[in-house]
Amino acid sequence: MPELGLKRGNVIKIEGFASLHVKEGKILIIGGLHEKWAKVVVPRAKSIPIEAESDAVVECTLGPNGKMERLPGRTIPREWDTLVEEIIAKKPRIVLVLGEVDTGKSFFSTYIANMLTRKNLRVAIVDGDTGQSDVGPPTTLGVVMVDKPVVFLRDIPPRAIYFIGSMSPAGHILEFVVGIKRMVEHGLENADIVVVNTAGWTSGGPGRAFRLYEMELLEPDMIVALQRGGELEHILKSVDQSKVKRILVSKHVRSRSRSDRTFLRELVLAQYFEGAGRLILDLRKVLLERCYFRTGEPVDPKSLGDPSIIHAEKMPEGLFIVVSGELSESKAQELKAKFRNLHTISTWDAKNVIVGLADSNNELVGLGIIDEIDYVREKLAVITPVKDVSRIVAVQFGSMKITPDGKEVGTVKPGTF
Amino acid sequence: MTFEESELQKLVDEIIGLLERYRDDPGALDVILSELKSLYRKVPIYPGIIANCLPMVVKSTKPEQLKVGDEVSILTKDNRILTGKVSSIAQGDIKIVDCHEYGGQKSSGECNIPLSNLKEARLFTRDILHKEWPDLDFEE
Repeated sequence: MPELGLKRGNVIKIEGFASLHVKEGKILIIGGLHEKWAKVVVPRAKSIPIEAESDAVVECTLGPNGKMERLPGRTIPREWDTLVEEIIAKKPRIVLVLGEVDTGKSFFSTYIANMLTRKNLRVAIVDGDTGQSDVGPPTTLGVVMVDKPVVFLRDIPPRAIYFIGSMSPAGHILEFVVGIKRMVEHGLENADIVVVNTAGWTSGGPGRAFRLYEMELLEPDMIVALQRGGELEHILKSVDQSKVKRILVSKHVRSRSRSDRTFLRELVLAQYFEGAGRLILDLRKVLLERCYFRTGEPVDPKSLGDPSIIHAEKMPEGLFIVVSGELSESKAQELKAKFRNLHTISTWDAKNVIVGLADSNNELVGLGIIDEIDYVREKLAVITPVKDVSRIVAVQFGSMKITPDGKEVGTVKPGTF
Repeated sequence: MTFEESELQKLVDEIIGLLERYRDDPGALDVILSELKSLYRKVPIYPGIIANCLPMVVKSTKPEQLKVGDEVSILTKDNRILTGKVSSIAQGDIKIVDCHEYGGQKSSGECNIPLSNLKEARLFTRDILHKEWPDLDFEE
């Protein structure tokens, strides 16, 4: 194993895949102090700076794509430390971190949390990025409590997670706004300071709406804007300037390619579903949420005069039917005329749809992937790592289709179910 | 007054713009419709991505930039509209195979159009989602 001798103040950058073991001395990683015996694993497509707090010896093993580079000096800008001092002095309850994609928001939030933890403050981090989620699996928001030095938020078990059902806030603004509020409330119950790491969606009508209403709802005491230039000013102009702290994006932040992002998402999802089993849920006993399915008045499918219809219900929006095979055009027209509107799905439409599995407190117990819905026997089969079926009280429908090995295989048209 | 809370409006604006721009070119509209259906089937939750991809399906291009195999529509100075695939560009002519003429006499097979009679060439790009967002081009 190659050992690396570091003098106090030396800085190196490690790119994953790599593993580190502190053999002697103390090192700082993203503001967190790691002493002798500490071990850190850097996954692929992630990189971390390491600063020697004292003379130190670090054992460093590089795996595939792993790299190590000596840097001329500290990578953390001084203004970050000034901001930390201000946070310690003012103790804001909610710090909102804004920034576009690839501006180092997670890194910055981790740094702040590590530095505040060293001052014995209890810090919660809410992760609002469902695509590149650092807390909980992709398609969820989550909150973690930081009470010891952390390198990657993913290494801490989440205190709570909230199901969004999509990798992007687009089309899911309501779920995002509700979810972020609930995660912040969890954080406030347990921490002195809640750092909210937001999704990098800041422009366009939906992006502006999302950001501004999110701020109106959360009422942050401090807004940290990570900018390269003035790319957030259109949003910052609408908020109380005394709360805004403008911070330059570190020049060390690197952009991730779309393929890197997809790889990371798939990796995390695959790890999440590793060892998952198939659970059968009774549709007469679980609540179905975020869907039309089973919200209407049951209609006997035989009464509709087409053997391909295996499930039917009457809703204010029209007739909802599930079809096995092909429904004739003439029958579709007839039903549409009779019930004002016809909402048709096929038996296989639900295959691979991601779902949230919630408990009696409406807290997310875990994720599932629909394997099959037996509309006649009223059973739902899901692939999930959740073992205890009795904890699952509600099933929340999502908008992505994935396989248990983490592959994204489709999206669901809004309103399908 | 408030914000658009989805990108559906942007998509509708794009569709209206394309219908107006190519109202004289049924070949281009055919390809746009085909791509719109494909995009909507594959990424119905991302109207913003559909809106960004759709205008890339048909592009005006210079004749000298066309390549053999390109799918195009050709508008001539005598107001003919031909759609097909470029098989050659040589000696002052562009040769189109699988040629279809809209509006006037229908034809198939090969058409030769003198470059001097060419008013506009429009290049079609199919499978636009795969080219622009390969990670969202899910197998069906």
